[in-house]
Amino acid sequence: MDQTTLQSLEKLNQLRLTDAEKEAVLAFFARQDKEMAVLDAIDTERVERMVHVMPILTVVREDVEKKLFTRDELQKGAPETMDGYWQVPRLVE
Amino acid sequence: MKFETVIGLEVHVELATKSKIFCSCSAKFGAEQNDHVCPACCGMPGMLPIVNKNVVNLGMTAGMMLNCHINRTTTFDKKSYYYPDLPCSYQTTQWFAPVAVNGLVDIETSKGKKSIRIKQIHMEEDAGKLVHDDWTNTSLVDFNRTSVPLIEIVSQPDLSSAEEVVAYLERLRSLLRFAKVSDCRMEQGSMRCDVNLSVRPEGSDQLGVRTEMKNMNSLSAIVRAIEYETARHIDAIENGTEELVQETRRWDDVKGKSFAMRNKETAGDYRYFPDPNIMPVVIDDTWYDGIKNSLPEFPEVKKARYMSEFGLGEYDADILTGSRALCDCFEGAVAECGNAKEAANWLISDCMNLLNKNQQTADQLTVNGTSLGKLIKLVTDGTIGRGNAKKILIAMFEKDLDPAKYAEENGLILSNDTGLIDKVIKEAIAADPKAVADFKGGKEKALMALFGKCMKQLKGNCDPQVLRTMLIDEINKA
Ligand SMILES: [Zn+2]
Repeated sequence: MDQTTLQSLEKLNQLRLTDAEKEAVLAFFARQDKEMAVLDAIDTERVERMVHVMPILTVVREDVEKKLFTRDELQKGAPETMDGYWQVPRLVE
Repeated sequence: MKFETVIGLEVHVELATKSKIFCSCSAKFGAEQNDHVCPACCGMPGMLPIVNKNVVNLGMTAGMMLNCHINRTTTFDKKSYYYPDLPCSYQTTQWFAPVAVNGLVDIETSKGKKSIRIKQIHMEEDAGKLVHDDWTNTSLVDFNRTSVPLIEIVSQPDLSSAEEVVAYLERLRSLLRFAKVSDCRMEQGSMRCDVNLSVRPEGSDQLGVRTEMKNMNSLSAIVRAIEYETARHIDAIENGTEELVQETRRWDDVKGKSFAMRNKETAGDYRYFPDPNIMPVVIDDTWYDGIKNSLPEFPEVKKARYMSEFGLGEYDADILTGSRALCDCFEGAVAECGNAKEAANWLISDCMNLLNKNQQTADQLTVNGTSLGKLIKLVTDGTIGRGNAKKILIAMFEKDLDPAKYAEENGLILSNDTGLIDKVIKEAIAADPKAVADFKGGKEKALMALFGKCMKQLKGNCDPQVLRTMLIDEINKA
């Protein structure tokens, strides 16, 4: 992790970090890199990719429509709303 | 130098489910803003997605219709991008093991037949809608469409002209409508298309610089966009008018031009990773076979069968197999009445007329095939007249009903009471001696006047042939 990668991640996540926060993040990733290097040293050539640790499958549900919440309930915690919409800072297209 | 265009398409199709992909909210189009929402599709912390089985059913169905291999273990992944129309700041989609891969779609154009390879079909959720408010200078968010289920059909770059693209999209639409995967209505956004296009010297095996146009939603706009982009690429290569760069462009159909979109420096960095909240979906044999056995015949197979099995002409068979709803009704009616010719006539003339009158498409036909078959039987065995049968059909458009019972209740049964017919005729003749004289004197029209009066008196419940014969007999006696 270097300054450039950090900058592009900031941009992708729409975050702004202070210099002190950047220091902390870089130090954190430096430690992670060391541990990853240990893992990278292991030969995984013929090991199949594992995504889920538990041998369980997903549960599916039937296609039934239910209305469980009202708009007002859901927007209770919203900082700003207008005419039933959530209101956010304007985005330039 | 001669050039060839290389086009690959990503087609998004909204699935015909009742509820959303990961929650029970309605997936219906056109509600008041934020009416179809819940904590899950609003991305509230702690909510977990539960996969809608019907989404997997329709994903598999689409895959099978397009000759794909179905991945019997299929998984969901997170595609990260930060935008307010996406409440979780990632879209749940499929990247590593999509539901269907390696398909083939046959198309036909003026240049002949061609097979287009399908790279993959994956299931995913739609995003919400943003409205920009100039007055408050803010953006307003509607999450009704968030998590509405989609499939994305990704083709290989096998298409080489606007004509082929149109043929391909029409073929997809026909197959997916037939299998009831989606209504594929471009004007409502339930079918949209991203066009990836590049140009290279004819015969070259190297691909040129590729540009992408997103969210195209009409066939005519797609044709214009492809023609414009092709010309722009060729101009750039031949005359050096501009330097082509790999980018996403927006097609402005009013101006007839494409424009580069901003923010391209971050585009494409989606950091896909497996969704830890959704375990793999494993499609066992029972599930797989159930879907396989429920697939419809392909439209052209059905058409050939209608012609050979039922003796329909090509024109009639073509119209019927243009819509799954017409086919279902036709087959139901034939099973009931055994008269394919009549069933085809009733559908192609009467039902289509009524649909047109209601400004509906053939796919919106709701008439029950068995009931239509019963109606046809009542007409052919002389129980009801054709005119009254049409009245019953109109009622059948409103709701399914038993034609015999309806005819009984509304006095639409043909009268076999020759005594009554005889009485009505005698009265009509007595009331209008001039018409009788005119007819005897050679005026054919005079008969129609008497015929009309009798029919009115009988409330239409009389076989026209019977009435005509009896009427002429009576006049000749007079
Ligand atoms: Zn929901």
